[in-house]
Amino acid sequence: MDSILKFKDIDSKLLTHLNACVKCGLCADSCMFYKKFSDPDYIPASKVALVSSIYRRYNTLSGRLIPSLVGAEKMSQEMAERMVDLLFGACTMCGRCVKHCSIGVDIAFVVRKGREMLAEMGLVPSTLQSTVDAAVNTGNNMGIPEDEFVGTISWMEEELRDELNDQNASIPLNQKGKRVFYTLNPREPKFFPLSISAMAKIFYAAGESWTLSSKYYDVTNYGFFNGNKREAALIAKNLHDEVIGLNSALLVLGECGHGSRANRWEAPNYLCKEYEFDMTTAVELTSSYIREGKIKLDPTLNKEAVTIHDPCNLVRNGGLLQEIRFVVNSSAQNVTEMTPCGNDNYCCGGGGGLLAMSEYNDRRVGAGEIKADQIRKSGAKVVVTPCHNCVDQLTQLNHTYKLGVKIKTIAELVADAIIIEKT
Amino acid sequence: MDIFRLLAAAAFIFCLSSLVYQMTKLLIAGNKRDFSKPSGSEKDGIVYSFTGAMSPFEKESAYLHLPTYIAGLLFHFGVFLSFPVLLLMIIFPKILFISQYLTASISLFLLISSFSGLFILVKRIVKRDIRAISGADDYISNGLTTFSLLMSSIALLTETLVPLYFVVYSVLLVWVPIGKTRHLIYFFFARYHLGRFYGRRNSWPQKKVSNG
Ligand code: SF4
Ligand code: SF4
Repeated sequence: MDSILKFKDIDSKLLTHLNACVKCGLCADSCMFYKKFSDPDYIPASKVALVSSIYRRYNTLSGRLIPSLVGAEKMSQEMAERMVDLLFGACTMCGRCVKHCSIGVDIAFVVRKGREMLAEMGLVPSTLQSTVDAAVNTGNNMGIPEDEFVGTISWMEEELRDELNDQNASIPLNQKGKRVFYTLNPREPKFFPLSISAMAKIFYAAGESWTLSSKYYDVTNYGFFNGNKREAALIAKNLHDEVIGLNSALLVLGECGHGSRANRWEAPNYLCKEYEFDMTTAVELTSSYIREGKIKLDPTLNKEAVTIHDPCNLVRNGGLLQEIRFVVNSSAQNVTEMTPCGNDNYCCGGGGGLLAMSEYNDRRVGAGEIKADQIRKSGAKVVVTPCHNCVDQLTQLNHTYKLGVKIKTIAELVADAIIIEKT
Repeated sequence: MDIFRLLAAAAFIFCLSSLVYQMTKLLIAGNKRDFSKPSGSEKDGIVYSFTGAMSPFEKESAYLHLPTYIAGLLFHFGVFLSFPVLLLMIIFPKILFISQYLTASISLFLLISSFSGLFILVKRIVKRDIRAISGADDYISNGLTTFSLLMSSIALLTETLVPLYFVVYSVLLVWVPIGKTRHLIYFFFARYHLGRFYGRRNSWPQKKVSNG
């Protein structure tokens, strides 16, 4: 316990962000939780204060001598409960407040550090922990048995062959030496298998050499959310080793915001190594196919008004703002933007592992009303987003707030616009 | 040098050395090596973090709260002006009084600045949500700085209050490295780290939302 409170191994970044907030409160309106519920506990600065007050109490002279003057607090049962409720249940670590903070405090980063403290204290919500456990024990966060997955893939392969009218079209499994190793969010084989065949259609059109693994295809890493770095590293290593085992040159991260972020930006640091292979996201790969003329698209095949939901982990925290727009604009005739959008977008409310924590369902769907209003105002009939977690949350928002829109992944949008030229 | 001047000088040295100590700690703590492959430039991100990203058009904390933003600017300009004024008052007070207009102008600006601080303080007290997130440090830091600016403004025009001015500033200078006023240095480090983070991921410099 002592080592957790002592912030061993603190670096300049953490030290900075634990000390930089001036409690001006100007970040309040940037957070959807506060905007929706008007509870001061949901102000981003409140979440930072939980972690920084603990830091101050156990790591600074002033925090020990004059705790009440400098906002230093002891770790107690009550404090721990507040931290669990606010850091796990009222922050998706979307980082919207970070960009708008008057100082530049990385609130999401501090929240993540707070979650790491709670994880070391064994206080991860059991619902979220069971998702991580499933990934550690079975290779995917939904615990889908391998034979069930293989069955779904061969069913999708048949669908693909029928659609393309080509018996050679395939969804390759466990093939060694393919250029691309593709990954999925387990929600795809479980609930949305058509997005797998959509991406397979894109690969087919581009003439790509690719494979899936039947064991480690899961792009997600909920270890990024539960704060347990050891588990996050284990999940990342499984995927890393599988890519090496199948001797692929390019790991393509399927349409999942946090999964892409966890693998692209965090996993090399979990494993303390530069990866031997390249990594890219499905959106970037699709964009390169379009730019290089490997696939041909007819945007008039997607006639309905489309709007883009920017996943926080891919856009604000991943720099894909323009790539996403390039692909969507190449695939649809009528694209309209939400206000605000891009780096200023609002989180859908389902990030940060919140979708896995059913105890916060009402809060999650409530906070999502901000996004629902944005969608309604956009006038679009289709919401496209390159993230299956967002798809899940948006589907619930669509139902709850009666938006009457279709929710699609980018692969599905592209697949609907693709022109297959038979030779 | 009289006792009050000496007190202020000692407080100034304490403040400066404490801030240098905190800065050294930050530098020694260093950056963890990042093994991920960058898709953008950290350098560009850092430059943008201190320039474009600070534009009031880029931050809701500015454009949604314009009166507070302007008050904050005036308040901070006043604080930055008040420190050289203090140094001159300690070391070479005559220079401040070579021109009546100069003294009066500085005094006026510091007065405006202190009123801006007062506005922010009142807002903290009156607004339910800001009050809810505020602790003793917030009131002390805000109140003490505001009062110091006011004293600075008055002392420039009323010589009899100079000893009190030195006492007030001594208290402020002792508080600066302890309270949230220490953001004087952390602000720059926060901008730097944020710039690195977003720059590496090609999120900053901010891209335009365009049709391809
Ligand atoms: S805007 Fe930034 S500095 Fe101000 S209270 Fe929020 S987190 Fe703290
Ligand atoms: S990271 Fe997102 S959810 Fe968390 S406090 Fe900031 S704006 Fe709110």
